[in-house]
Amino acid sequence: MFDLIVMLSRYIFILCIGVYLWEAIVYIAYEQGGYLGSPYHAISVQRRLIILMHLISFLILSYEQDTHLFDWQALIFGAVSLLFILIAIFLLDRFYYEGCPLIWTGVLFLMDLSLIMLQRVEPDFAHKQLLWMILGLCGMLVLPFLLRLIPRFEIFEWAYIIVCYGLLLSTQIFGVERYGSVNWLQIGSISFQPSEIAKFLFVFYLASVFRKRVEMRQLLITGCLSAGVVILLVLQKDLGAALIFFMTYMVMLYIATSNEILFFMGMGAASGAAVVAYKLFSHVRVRVAAWQNPWADIDSGGYQIVSSLFAITTYGLLGSGLTKGMPRSIPVVESDCIFAAICEELGILFGAGVICIFIMVLYRGIRITLDCTRRYYSLLAAGITVMLSFQAFLIIGGVIKLIPLTGVTLPLVSYGGSSVLVSLMMVGILQWVCVYCEQHNEEEEQSSHQLQYMRGGYGDE
Amino acid sequence: MNNMKRSARRVFWFLALCFFLLLGYLGKLALVDKQEISTSSYNIRLRNDMEGIQRGDILDKDGEVLATSTQLEDGSYQRSYERARMAAHLTGYSSVGKTGVEAAANFQMMKPHMELIQRIMGLVTKEDPKGNDVVLTVDMDIQSVAGNLLGNAKGAIVVMEPSTGRVLALQAYPDFDPNTVERDWDTLINSEDTPLVNRATQGIYPPGSTFKIITALAAMEYYPNWKDFTYNCQGEVEFEDKVIHCYKNRVHGLVDMKGAMAGSCNCYFAALAKEIGADNLRKEMEKCGLLSAYGFDLTYSKSVMHLNKKSSESELVETAIGQGKTSVSPLYMAMLISAVANEGIMMRPYCIDHMQHYTGNSGKPRVPKKMMEICTPEEAVVLNEMLIDVVENGTGQAAQVRGVTVAGKTGTAENATGKDHSWFVGYAPAENPRVAVAVVIENADAHGSATPIAGKVLQAALEKTAE
Repeated sequence: MFDLIVMLSRYIFILCIGVYLWEAIVYIAYEQGGYLGSPYHAISVQRRLIILMHLISFLILSYEQDTHLFDWQALIFGAVSLLFILIAIFLLDRFYYEGCPLIWTGVLFLMDLSLIMLQRVEPDFAHKQLLWMILGLCGMLVLPFLLRLIPRFEIFEWAYIIVCYGLLLSTQIFGVERYGSVNWLQIGSISFQPSEIAKFLFVFYLASVFRKRVEMRQLLITGCLSAGVVILLVLQKDLGAALIFFMTYMVMLYIATSNEILFFMGMGAASGAAVVAYKLFSHVRVRVAAWQNPWADIDSGGYQIVSSLFAITTYGLLGSGLTKGMPRSIPVVESDCIFAAICEELGILFGAGVICIFIMVLYRGIRITLDCTRRYYSLLAAGITVMLSFQAFLIIGGVIKLIPLTGVTLPLVSYGGSSVLVSLMMVGILQWVCVYCEQHNEEEEQSSHQLQYMRGGYGDE
Repeated sequence: MNNMKRSARRVFWFLALCFFLLLGYLGKLALVDKQEISTSSYNIRLRNDMEGIQRGDILDKDGEVLATSTQLEDGSYQRSYERARMAAHLTGYSSVGKTGVEAAANFQMMKPHMELIQRIMGLVTKEDPKGNDVVLTVDMDIQSVAGNLLGNAKGAIVVMEPSTGRVLALQAYPDFDPNTVERDWDTLINSEDTPLVNRATQGIYPPGSTFKIITALAAMEYYPNWKDFTYNCQGEVEFEDKVIHCYKNRVHGLVDMKGAMAGSCNCYFAALAKEIGADNLRKEMEKCGLLSAYGFDLTYSKSVMHLNKKSSESELVETAIGQGKTSVSPLYMAMLISAVANEGIMMRPYCIDHMQHYTGNSGKPRVPKKMMEICTPEEAVVLNEMLIDVVENGTGQAAQVRGVTVAGKTGTAENATGKDHSWFVGYAPAENPRVAVAVVIENADAHGSATPIAGKVLQAALEKTAE
């Protein structure tokens, strides 16, 4: 009977994510002037789908087949995390009334998926992850007040980059090694990755610099400083982070200057640098070799990628059903390879849906960039959106062997305290920019009566 | 500001493109690469014996049950093998790990067809869903004849249908009883006879004179004057530092290729190889698929060969007569002789024919696939005549079958382990081949030669396939 329920649940999960994405289309269509349904209704359906998915998966996860009883611990955790999601929906509505509701449901979906998969793989991780999410939520709620207190936080551009360097260099001195990279700091029992916090500062720094007209001198200085950060990360063997920082820099530079030549020159220089890095560093060569032919070195270098490919392909489009696969056999499944675990148990179709959710968040992020009239905030929104999306692309591409695997987290889904916290804060900033623009655009609209503005925030209640 | 918006839009499309690439690649993994990746023997999910599923059976071509699972009182399943040793290397075992078909089709046997319906029915009948049955190409009648002929001689027999690559029988000795592998494990794993190794696919032996088929093909391809090439055999001849002997130093006198093939004259083929050249001989070996992966259903060993442009003359002449550093599996030799029988077209070998669902309906039938062309039909005809002559007048007379023309080639492989290995590869009827066979007997003495065994196997297989 339990097997039958798990089998059926696979269809429900895929239906869930399908309807969820459809409702996103309904919402966007309304905004663009087409009408497929009520946007308020769409958002409320999305929220209900998240709750439905949560209920089904935690009922399955807490069932013990041997005793035919439910595991109380898992049930309680399921209830607590459900409460967290409900409270988050309620509070975010209040505090970010004019924020983009699609980004909120997207973030909640990903967070819920994270809790489900972590509970499946290792309940201990799920518990810790929930704590970090609560912390992140609190941070997001404080954010609007904090930003109101410091109205012009773009003037601290030097402070951002100095702290950024300080954080990255600190790992050289106090760092502990994990998974072959020296990029962790340990304070008491909590360990975190300074490069995560540095991401945050780096976007702030770039937005601050590029908000002004970009002069040659300015360009050189930021170019050198950013290159320094990237090189530092490569030296620390944190290739994924290095790529994310580089991409963010390039894209923000491009958006700020609209100069294609500069962009392609940068890309060219990066390709050259990549070749040099390949020749110089053995850890780069190992990654590339494991990507080119993981089967040749299946016992060491290629093991992770091969295990992840097995997980993705074995059970096909519909997956094995929750609890029926073997996601624990994949090394570092809770962070790097969580996407493989999702594909294995919930199906490749569901995995494709998760990618679509990232596309949705990307779309909304860029929308905010476009709608915002203040250059600094616009750049900030772009930087954050690009950073999150590119990170998602890097790790998903890595586990499906499209590109070499670099050990970064899947934003909001992978286990990792600093990663979740920073990702949530970044989303908070993005939404804050959205709220800010919304309010200021309205002011402009009222004063000039010229701008026809369609959008408004949608509350559910 | 407008510039900035345009750039932001472009950035969106760039990143969206990246995500679409991900979707596309994921789709490719799911639809194209799935089969190849997920059936890798490294995939530990294949060992995930899901509880509550009845493993499918293994059946021979005519539906005889070779392996089946029966439910015990506690709800678990026991695997039993009706024909035990007779098909041991084919079925393999499913207890201490998995081998043979048990490993190759493991996933199919654990995958119930229309699981949802089976499970809903199961609520009423209280039966677990049943995985797919595997139907082999193997005919247990031929398999049994081959097994009895092989008896207690170390070696292997492979019977194949030349036009399709279907394996009709696959025997190897020493063998084991798959019913008791778990109990006998220590003995099996420590035995010097390596009974767990499937000699038919994993054993590699020097091909001996059976290799002359490839040398002959190389001459037809790269040495235009081969028809006029004759050699006066004195029983032995010296190349560089290597002396080549004919078997028992027999003097063949003046021979052409047909005569040399029938009498298995080493000196002739050694001299011929000198004319062909090492580089060309290597090319011919590649053309005959010696180095190719042939994607057989069961685990197999690839052939070994070391000949290249820079090889010394002694290495070249040794290789040309099947000695030296070349080694091949009996399965490969069956493929090679089948290709000769099939007008030069080598088919991809297979032993799993199709899946059979719990309802008794057959799944998708497997379509025979062409692997490569080793020679032209004309060359195959010429070779065919020579190989007929081998059995009618030459060294292969013991393989004759009453009323049928048999073509084939014998081989005697010197080796480091003691007495010579005895080979025979052949097919029948020569005019319109229905079955091909490769037999190798390790360290054979005069009584246990491969040739008469091959003759009897061919006879049995012909009788069976004539039905």
